Amino acid sequence: MLKYVNTGIVFQEIPDEVTLAINISNCPCHCPGCHSHYLWEDIGLPLNTEAIDNFVEEYGTDITCISFMGGDSDPKGVNMLAQYIHEEHPQFRVAWYSGKTVISSSINKKDFDYIKIGPFIRHLGPLKNPTTNQRLYRISDAGDMQDITSRFWRISQ
Amino acid sequence: MENFSDSKNQKVSQNGKLHDEHRTLNIISINNKMEIKNFTITKRDGSKDLFSLDKIMNAIVKAFESVDYPADLGTISKILSHLDIHDDITVEDIQNQVEEALMREGFYKVAKSFMLYRQAHTEDRETLAKLQFLSEYCESVNAATGSKYDANANVEHKNIATLIGELPKSGFIRLNRRMLTDRIKKMYGKDLADEYIDKLTHHFIYKNDETSLANYCASITMYPWLIGGTVAIGGNSTAPTNLKSFAGGFVNMVFMVSSMLSGACATPEFLMYMNYFIGKEYGLDYWKRPNDQADLSLKKRTIDKVITDYFEQIVYTLNQPTGARNYQAVFWNVAYYDRYYFESIFGEFYFPDGSKPDWDGLSWLQKRFMKWFNKERTKTLLTFPVETMALLTDENGDPKDKEWGDFTAEMYSEGHSFFTYMSNNADSLSSCCRLRNEITDNGFSYTLGAGGVSTGSKSVLTINLNRCIQYAVNHKMDYLEYLGTVIDLCHKVQMAYNENLKELQEHGMLPLFDAGYINIGRQYLTIGINGLVEAAEFMGLKITPNDEYLHFVQGILGLIEKYNRQYRTKDVMFNCEMIPAENVGVKHAKWDREDGYFVPRDCYNSYFYVVEDDSLTIIDKFKLHGAPYIEHLTGGSALHMNLEEHLSKEQYLHLLKVAAKEGCNYFTFNIPNTVCNDCGHIDKRYLKECPHCHSKNVDYMTRIIGYLKRVSNFSQARQEEAGRRYYAHAGYQTAKI
Repeated sequence: MLKYVNTGIVFQEIPDEVTLAINISNCPCHCPGCHSHYLWEDIGLPLNTEAIDNFVEEYGTDITCISFMGGDSDPKGVNMLAQYIHEEHPQFRVAWYSGKTVISSSINKKDFDYIKIGPFIRHLGPLKNPTTNQRLYRISDAGDMQDITSRFWRISQ
Repeated sequence: MENFSDSKNQKVSQNGKLHDEHRTLNIISINNKMEIKNFTITKRDGSKDLFSLDKIMNAIVKAFESVDYPADLGTISKILSHLDIHDDITVEDIQNQVEEALMREGFYKVAKSFMLYRQAHTEDRETLAKLQFLSEYCESVNAATGSKYDANANVEHKNIATLIGELPKSGFIRLNRRMLTDRIKKMYGKDLADEYIDKLTHHFIYKNDETSLANYCASITMYPWLIGGTVAIGGNSTAPTNLKSFAGGFVNMVFMVSSMLSGACATPEFLMYMNYFIGKEYGLDYWKRPNDQADLSLKKRTIDKVITDYFEQIVYTLNQPTGARNYQAVFWNVAYYDRYYFESIFGEFYFPDGSKPDWDGLSWLQKRFMKWFNKERTKTLLTFPVETMALLTDENGDPKDKEWGDFTAEMYSEGHSFFTYMSNNADSLSSCCRLRNEITDNGFSYTLGAGGVSTGSKSVLTINLNRCIQYAVNHKMDYLEYLGTVIDLCHKVQMAYNENLKELQEHGMLPLFDAGYINIGRQYLTIGINGLVEAAEFMGLKITPNDEYLHFVQGILGLIEKYNRQYRTKDVMFNCEMIPAENVGVKHAKWDREDGYFVPRDCYNSYFYVVEDDSLTIIDKFKLHGAPYIEHLTGGSALHMNLEEHLSKEQYLHLLKVAAKEGCNYFTFNIPNTVCNDCGHIDKRYLKECPHCHSKNVDYMTRIIGYLKRVSNFSQARQEEAGRRYYAHAGYQTAKI
């Protein structure tokens, strides 16, 4: 079962969205240099449809997007919740930050609006570095994937 | 004199025995000086010293000599025999006794000379204290840290001009207290005047801007200037007739107005008038062809260049240190409007030539000014004007004027820092960095212009909530009941202040009122609050959006509003503001800690949340400055959303919606700008290293309270507070870099 440790409101992870990020534990990726070591263990509260409803209740339209940070140990579980959000709370976009190099074959991409893939590799850097191995895709209603990683490389003012 | 000796005799008879013993002891002592050396005395600076009879004798002998009166040892001994010397006696006490002894023995002339001698020394000591302050000020790291009474980061450099401003501050404080207590005595009796001083000196309340005589801040109408120039307020310039005289005259007018205010001066009509004069010069449709050549000089300036040159002239001039204001720049504020806010306030407005303001031109000019100012700030650290965007919202909480809602988000995403005021009706304008003032009249008059823009605050008197509430709880009192007595006192004091102000006006001392720039009846008397969060923490409440904290906040602010309404008359209005507390926040924390109160941080918050708390989300902060919390805060409190990184336009646009939904009507986003101390490069981002020369010797420009300043200009204590402020990470990725 999916469990989450904490949440946060973030702006950098998904461009142009005000995102509720849900930090999922029991991460199997164990990337060297991982900055969320605490998410390696199977700890936290159950992440189920009830938890999703509570978040929606708490944040309402203050957020535009809900993002699952991790959950690679149970991609089907993440997919189920993504589908639930799209059906029950269609006002929100759904994102998934996966640490795998390819998108799990057991999910339906159409249930997501954004998917990030790629483990964190220290010398290649995070999404912000143009050298990064990580990729963020925008998924259209038709299921087409557009690589929008370059949005993170915006030249500063 | 008779009364004097009567009361003295009484005292002697009451303590007769004790006195006799001492006297015996002293007479013996005088005959045997060795014994006396065992006494210690307390000097004025609190240090101890051995008692020296010679010093007293010398002083007495000198007093006799000064009036050519012979003094033999017998006379001196007799006077000395009256002295009641005990261990640790203060110098002042000994001198008082000498005075009394001289009079008791009938040497009135000598006594008078002795008193005059003491007074001269007191004055000397005051001068010495000033000299010491002078040398400490010269040694201090910056002007705000050196300032003893009213630290202010709006002074960039310390020099002879700022020092001249500092020196008389203590005199002003004494004068203001005297004027106010005299008036309170007349209106409410001596007990209340004493109560005021008692509450003031024990830091239950704080009188803001006590170092100045002028009333606080004002949002002015410039209509009287448009019609008559500055003559009515003591200047010599006539009404502006073209763009050039507008730009030059405007600057002079703002300097003059500001020198008669202790706080900020807001000119909400600045761009509207400028648009009028540009239109007169280049045609109402000038904004459709800004690249047309506008002058015949070799530079072939375009209309746009002419306009931005005037922006430059006005903004740079008004950011200069000002002589009449202790070398501070004037606290200049401007407003921008969306179409609907503009129509609400200026819908009935007519220029002297009978024309109405042109919205299309103004809309273009507002945008041009914001873009220009944002860019200019990458070249120079410009603090003023402080800008407020006034937006009306529709029933869904979306900006009613979509074009201006979009533009607001666009400017934030381009890194421009300004305030936004959002409301579903045009009910307020801000007169300074944070204080907003409700508009009571949106009408237009042919002599005074738009009624709505003339507002502000006459005086701020602040309640130290943390101390008041702890005092009540510690003394087993109902804290709201106790607060009620403090709030009532504050209202009476403010009423007394208002009477003093009216008297000044009657004597022609306040031309801003007489000339119609501001209206005494439309200016608020402001009750300030400080230490609200700290008081809640003392009560064991969690500072998050929760019902208990909300109930606490509403209880206190609702009580203040109750008194605000109770004391309101047709001439006097009150509002309540969470004060910025640039230096009071630090002082209150220090004083309260010294007196043993619970003080959770070194500088009291100016927000409904704890600035250094990193567990609150951005949404939480909007909630904590949302409608239920600010409902009774009629004078406003701007939410400063501290962020580490700039967001995208879409994200800001959504946050405008969040603000509207939560009812947070007054806010700004604050991302520290980086200034390189080595190459001077200014970057809109919050960086640890200069992107230009890669130096790590960088400083930041951020809002100390309401206005943007270099952190190194903050006072020492404020710099420490700024260091602890939490700038929300926009995401995990960036947080870890």
